[in-house]
Amino acid sequence: MSRALALAGAAPDGADTRRRHRLALGLVLALLLGGLAGLATGSDGLSLRALWADLQGPDAALLIGHIRAPRTLGAALVGALLGLAGALAQGLFRNPLADPYLLGSAAGAGLGVVLVLAAASAGGVVLGLAGAAWIERLGLVGAAFVGALAGVGLTLSLARGAAHTLRLLLAGVVVGVMAGAVSDLITVAVPEALRGKQAFLLGSTSFLGWPALGLLATGLVALLALVGRFARALDALTLGEDSAASLGLDLPRLRLLLVLMLSAATALAVSQAGLVAFVGLVAPHLVRRAAPGPHGWLVAASAAMGAALLVLADVLSRALVAPQELPVGVVTAVLGGAYLVWLLKQRGAR
Amino acid sequence: MRRWFCSLLAGLALAGGAALAQPVEVLDDRGQALRLERPPQRIVSLLPSLTESVAALGAGARLVGVDRYSNWPPEVAALPRLGGLDDAQIEAIVRLKPDVVLASSSARALDRLEALGLPVLRLKSDSHADVRRSLRLLARLLGTPAEGERVWARIEAQLADAQARVPVALRGRLVYFELGGGPYAAGASSFIGETLARLGLVNAVPAELGPFPKLNPEFVVRARPELVMGAQREQAALRARPGWQAVPALREGRLCGFDEAGYELLIRPGPRLGEGAALIADCLQRLGAGGAR
Amino acid sequence: MTPVLATEALRVRLGGHDALRGITLGLGPGWTALVGPNGAGKSTLLRALAGLQRPDGGCVRLHGRDLAQVPAAERAREIAWLAQRGDVTGELSVRETVALGRIARLGLLGTPGAADEAAVAQAMALTECRDWGARRLHELSGGERQRVLLARVLATEAPLLLLDEPTTHLDAPHQRALARLFRRLAHEAGTPRSVLTVLHDLPIALRADRLLVLDAGTLQADGPPSDPGVQAALARVFGHAIHIDTDAAGRPRVALALDDD
Repeated sequence: MSRALALAGAAPDGADTRRRHRLALGLVLALLLGGLAGLATGSDGLSLRALWADLQGPDAALLIGHIRAPRTLGAALVGALLGLAGALAQGLFRNPLADPYLLGSAAGAGLGVVLVLAAASAGGVVLGLAGAAWIERLGLVGAAFVGALAGVGLTLSLARGAAHTLRLLLAGVVVGVMAGAVSDLITVAVPEALRGKQAFLLGSTSFLGWPALGLLATGLVALLALVGRFARALDALTLGEDSAASLGLDLPRLRLLLVLMLSAATALAVSQAGLVAFVGLVAPHLVRRAAPGPHGWLVAASAAMGAALLVLADVLSRALVAPQELPVGVVTAVLGGAYLVWLLKQRGAR
Repeated sequence: MRRWFCSLLAGLALAGGAALAQPVEVLDDRGQALRLERPPQRIVSLLPSLTESVAALGAGARLVGVDRYSNWPPEVAALPRLGGLDDAQIEAIVRLKPDVVLASSSARALDRLEALGLPVLRLKSDSHADVRRSLRLLARLLGTPAEGERVWARIEAQLADAQARVPVALRGRLVYFELGGGPYAAGASSFIGETLARLGLVNAVPAELGPFPKLNPEFVVRARPELVMGAQREQAALRARPGWQAVPALREGRLCGFDEAGYELLIRPGPRLGEGAALIADCLQRLGAGGAR
Repeated sequence: MTPVLATEALRVRLGGHDALRGITLGLGPGWTALVGPNGAGKSTLLRALAGLQRPDGGCVRLHGRDLAQVPAAERAREIAWLAQRGDVTGELSVRETVALGRIARLGLLGTPGAADEAAVAQAMALTECRDWGARRLHELSGGERQRVLLARVLATEAPLLLLDEPTTHLDAPHQRALARLFRRLAHEAGTPRSVLTVLHDLPIALRADRLLVLDAGTLQADGPPSDPGVQAALARVFGHAIHIDTDAAGRPRVALALDDD
């Protein structure tokens, strides 16, 4: 942590350090409690007593070890990736309303999912049996991942590289609209794909298992390490693009690298859990309110905050209507929307 | 009072010879009375189950247009497609000059059609009882009131036959039926749930949870169903779900995966529900005979 | 004396017309003030000198080498640029902002050491914002923020400082302090710097060692403020808006002509 602060190139002042330590502690606590709640929430709702009973029962390894533990941990990892991506997006675009889905990753992933669902439904009529079989092997996870990266790739090529931020944003919007339109067309032609598409759009942590976790964890660790190297560039960007360039930074190359990191994080998260709303937007906001600081700190703390948020949302999605389950994206949308409304009221009151 | 009057009318029509051009009056599911001067000769159906009901009642020739999802009987493929409930093509429907339009719940399209002067009959199609009621009502509408009960009796016979074919070893077993794209479970209070109950199986999802709840996957694992049914293309992925290898149905290979046509048949609450039950019975017989797949 | 930073027949086109035309000048140690009416091209010239604007004709030379060929890292060590309009998001603290200047020396990955902290502290002391280390940039007033951003530039320890309107939002005492600072930096024994400041404040500009008068993209005058040619150019460019004369000590003096109608 002090290395992160040292990377920021500043001797931290007392008050700032105290706030960061407090937030870090709070987040660790939240994650531990959230993890416990995640293990204690079963198809009967949240109950520590039931957890104790289950632990002693014959199914402990199955229920706790194979279902609840990977699911809770998976929610934390996906939330961390989204929080990291959100902090990157807000730093890159110098806009507190930026979220990781801006560059066409969400739309691309959605289109990938719809293609797989439609191919499965149409039974190979449209694509030919070989094509459909290959797509089914890829699976929804693979299709979402590939789709997300393809979406960003298309955005980058439309914007002709990452030379200009505004062009990137516009290209992202265009790709989002186009991919959405194609996806809608496909669901009109193959309405059986509609349910699956909605499930993807709403986000879900229901089926996160241990194999997925390995991938998510590796991705998260690698990205955190990479972002550590580039955190100072994001700080320099707060001065303005020209000032950052005058410090000797190769902005187009840096922007491209940041976009790629952002996309990798988003693609990983979205392929496993669908389009979870608001976590990427709100996590950096909350960190900035509690303990602002340079990006070395901000990105890491946003990841932790995102993890805590999604673990909480996952617990709520299971506990509120047990044994039924709310899609986790609905919970995050309600929580995130409520936060934004509160934010607006605060601003209005001032 | 109205009911009695209707029954009297139906009785008179029966006495007079069903196919005469008698005025018909029926109450649809909104409680609104629909009165036609004579049984409709040109029928537009915007719901596949109602299309099938009309055909089952022997009036398939009177259909002049159907929605895009209707696909049985095969003859409807030649009929003009009029969109779905949400995007019905108003002009195309009006141009067909139907005597009545059959649909289910509300949709803006239906209000529009009524405003344009077309009689719209709204019939709910969510349960076995709904199917029976629609059959009787449609039969009366078509001027052949006896057909309704006759078709239903045929369905009942199919159900009883399917029930008899369920292997003794599998009777009373716990079953879990999953609908794709969610995934959603078919609960005891759903249409398929009723079919499964008729076949003597116990649903892992109790009626209190509603017809199609979106369940915490852990619930299914804890419930330990001995039979799992669903669309064939979704079944391959079931084993990969965390914790599901322990589900008895998957461990012992007691899976029923239905192909596209069969799956569609099962989830469509229409007059072919007897065939659907037969499909399930076929699968159960295979499982009972061969054991693990 | 070979100029550190020079231009040869520099031409820059913006929005379809010539923003700069035929600019030839050389910058060496000392404090140079760049003045001219709004839209004369002062900011554009500064950006071209900083390497942020590609010339459409002529070239900019750093130590004799074409600036476009100089690697960005080396250029950042030699030249520091202060933007006219602070496009700052303001989330960082004052100290963190000033410390960003060290990126010019450390790059993205270098670990800051004692020398870097000393440079940051020095820069903050010079601009009188040492006590604000922990305050967030967006909490500061326009003038305070300007001083912090200037400190950021000073923290780079670059020998060439290109400052676009560094005194705009400042009050009189701070303007005076900065004028003295520029003079001091330009003539510091051991590390004399080239300080080029765009100024609207003519009284301050006349205290500089050298005056560049820019109008409509062309250089109208280039010389010490005491040079009558320079003073004539000022009078020509600003017209009847100003009075120029010399004070008792012979130094040039300028004032806004507010009494005439």
